Amino acid sequence: MSAQRQASSASQTPHISPAELSYLWSSLALPNNPIRPDGRSPTQFRPLSAETDILPGTNGSARVGFADGTQAIVGVKAEVEKTVAAADVSSLSQRAQEQFGENQDGEGKSSATTTGHGSWVQMSIEIPGYRDDDALPVFLSEMMREPLVESVSSGGNADGEMAGGLKGRLVINRRWHWRLYIDVLLLSQPLSYPLPLLSLTTHLALLSTKLPKLKSLGEEDPFFDDDWDAAEYLYPRSQSRLASALQLRPPVTLLVISVGENVIFDPSRDEIAVADTLLAISVARDGGSDALKVLSIRTVDPPSRLTQPGMPNAENPASLESAAVAEQAVNGEEIPGVWRPRRGGVKRNTVAKMVKLVLQKGGVGEEVLEGLEGVEVG
Amino acid sequence: METVKTKDSAPGAATRPQRQRQSNELRKIFLKTGLIPSASGSSYLEFEPSPALAAARSTPKSLIPPSSALKLACTVHGPKPLPRSATFSPNLVLTTHVKYAPFAARKRKGHIRDASERDLGVHLETALRGVIVAERWPKSGLDITITIIEAEDDRWWGDAPDSHDAPWGMMNVLAGCITAASAAIADARIDCLDLVAGGVAAIVSDGDDAAPRLVLDCDPAEHWSILSACVVAYMPSRDEITELWLKGDGSKAVLSADDKRLGNEALLDGAVDAARGAHTVLAEAVRESAERYAGLALGGPAR
Amino acid sequence: MPLDTSTTYPLTKLRLDGRRWNELRLLQAQISTNPASSGSSYLAMGNTTIMCSVHGPAEGRRGDATGGSAGSSGAVVEVDVNVAGFAGVDRKRRAGGSDRQSSRIATTLRAAFQSHLHTYLYPHSTISIHVSVLSADGSLLAAAINACTLALVDAGIPMPGLLCGCTAGMSGSASTPRDPHNDELDPLLDLSLPEEQELPFLTVGTTSSIPVGENAMDTDEEEMKVSMLNMDSKVHCSYVETMLAVGIDGCKQIREIMEGIVKGSKRLR
Repeated sequence: MSAQRQASSASQTPHISPAELSYLWSSLALPNNPIRPDGRSPTQFRPLSAETDILPGTNGSARVGFADGTQAIVGVKAEVEKTVAAADVSSLSQRAQEQFGENQDGEGKSSATTTGHGSWVQMSIEIPGYRDDDALPVFLSEMMREPLVESVSSGGNADGEMAGGLKGRLVINRRWHWRLYIDVLLLSQPLSYPLPLLSLTTHLALLSTKLPKLKSLGEEDPFFDDDWDAAEYLYPRSQSRLASALQLRPPVTLLVISVGENVIFDPSRDEIAVADTLLAISVARDGGSDALKVLSIRTVDPPSRLTQPGMPNAENPASLESAAVAEQAVNGEEIPGVWRPRRGGVKRNTVAKMVKLVLQKGGVGEEVLEGLEGVEVG
Repeated sequence: METVKTKDSAPGAATRPQRQRQSNELRKIFLKTGLIPSASGSSYLEFEPSPALAAARSTPKSLIPPSSALKLACTVHGPKPLPRSATFSPNLVLTTHVKYAPFAARKRKGHIRDASERDLGVHLETALRGVIVAERWPKSGLDITITIIEAEDDRWWGDAPDSHDAPWGMMNVLAGCITAASAAIADARIDCLDLVAGGVAAIVSDGDDAAPRLVLDCDPAEHWSILSACVVAYMPSRDEITELWLKGDGSKAVLSADDKRLGNEALLDGAVDAARGAHTVLAEAVRESAERYAGLALGGPAR
Repeated sequence: MPLDTSTTYPLTKLRLDGRRWNELRLLQAQISTNPASSGSSYLAMGNTTIMCSVHGPAEGRRGDATGGSAGSSGAVVEVDVNVAGFAGVDRKRRAGGSDRQSSRIATTLRAAFQSHLHTYLYPHSTISIHVSVLSADGSLLAAAINACTLALVDAGIPMPGLLCGCTAGMSGSASTPRDPHNDELDPLLDLSLPEEQELPFLTVGTTSSIPVGENAMDTDEEEMKVSMLNMDSKVHCSYVETMLAVGIDGCKQIREIMEGIVKGSKRLR
């Protein structure tokens, strides 16, 4: 069991017979018009229920329940921590320069205070039945943390409050910063690859996260307003509802599969089992323009590579008409209706197609982000 | 008194190594198979050290070496029977294990694998599983162990630790792991669809006002900041990618005027080009391995 | 003056959160919260919040020592307790794996439910219980027992009666023998985290069979059984009886609330 679990990163292979796999694959691979087992269109998502601010003991929290009954809870906690002095060459030399003359000290400070460190965001994922150093939780948390700390909106934002992205927001002053702990709990054993569930829950939890209002100024040791009502959102909100589309939001990670020529979103467990490729694509809104941008792409090992091959009738000693068709089977060619574990990789144009479907105007990425914006937060 | 405005050339400080290659020129790769006799297949891979290292040796400005180059060893054990307690598997069960030597990076790594090493292991597994013809070895296991002897830098050592803190060096390490593992698997005579090679491309920026540009096989120490980078595991004969890892925001890249590609597509194509380059080295190493094997089979001298 | 129970209680006869000695915190619960499991529950005792899900009875994992020969006479109960990193006031730093507190709770729960449930009905199978502590504010073990009971009821696993847990403590360090003439220490019911850290306390779990047949009209006073008792603080032996009596009384109150929750749940089986 444990060897098997280590081996397959994309959740366990479901117990589907080769004949079923083959049937499922060919209906999903129908050119231009895949037939999904639950009758959804290729870009349609399953319904989900979500609520935020469920745990009073955290800075921000959310619960999301998927249609298949799996639920995740995310709690975000923030702590104030002392910044370890950056003893690097440029700051040392800057200090030397400041001793020579104070002419450029403003510039130096501003550049030092807007950058943060990616390790200030810590993420841990608890999945029942897995140790937290198993491959799956480690891979998932790296996959989700990466776009989060990466999403530096390069200028463009009107108030400039999120100038350095999430990392920059965590900076209090030169000597102090916030450390963010994101704890993700999956409440039951995952029925399918849990990435979309965890990503959406984390997104909502971060949106509802508040940090106490800072009362100290500049380089003082920080102290904060006791009033929780005065606390500020980690991802600042603009006051007008009109500008809500432009406000900064954490990235979301979408799971996309390709079967044959088709690209399918929000795959169920059985659909993942026959996927040729499984990609996790993280997107966020660009701060300046309204367009979406890709923050990270990762291939996930599709479980179809680990499935059991089907046996053509020709090779089956129990069947009667064995010798007649034996030759064509031996060459290892694809025989229609006989399942073979997927081999090889993905073509470049398929990747480009998947990314395009996510990014394009009115595409899936926008649809998901708009859906999430509909969730009342706070 | 006039102070020097540029960030790197502060008085008395070491200077950042500069990239001297063309933007599409790769570093030389040394790859040799069959160095570890006890394993069923093995390989050793080394990247060409940066010319800045040689320059620093001859005229030292600082005791700290300016850059590091990847060195790693890969061993393959198997195919071997799975333990009796394991459940039935119709396919070859692949186990990948990537470990930094404690002295590999500038910061010491512990002996227990940390999250980034496990993450690399999963990436490598994904890259290789698409290549190996796994159903030819039911009920068997294959262990791939990679020891990284010298890692790539994540940034220039003189930079502030928060200037570009994403572990960009990991991406070069992964590309090296893929290429080396592919050679070692071929050396172990395990059936593959193709040789899979790793390649890296990155969108880098060399200063505040310099336009971000695409470079292949970037050494993170040579650049002021890296906006986005991409690793692929690529099979040239099938034109397919078995592993893709892209991170960072590449939307600000300035490509040539007639280039209509998006940043991420350009990165992907660049990484594939880099992998094509690595593939030529890989093919040469595997040919060497095959010749040695043929020599063994004929009873001739082993090496 | 330090703001703790042992100093303020004698003056005000009120505890830090304003309760009197024999008052429970607000207990809210819900069952069938997680459709992906056989049975599930959500339970909040004051600020202690727990979610619990039950899987099974299902075939035990093969190759596992507990699933094979050990379960031949009846089902094996497996308990997995996870205290979320954000459960406490400060974020808990863990060096991998589970910590001592959660594994102790898991062991106690496993022992309590293994003997409590009618496991003989399900030979060669496993009942796995997963407990997630979302926020921890004292009485963790007691709340976990109650949440597990509700989830097991939801899963339809037969048991002789509801197993309910409650904590009881003393309002001072209680290290000297009790003086019957001048009783200055009061027993306290259902301790919160600051009280647990300061005062001696015990956790008691009781059960009683559902009265059937001719005894149906009787009150179940005599049928009450203590099936779990846990104390790891130092207290003079003359106080134990009082604490136990108060704890058992608390269990009875909790049982009534839990029966109401089970009966009021809309899920039909």
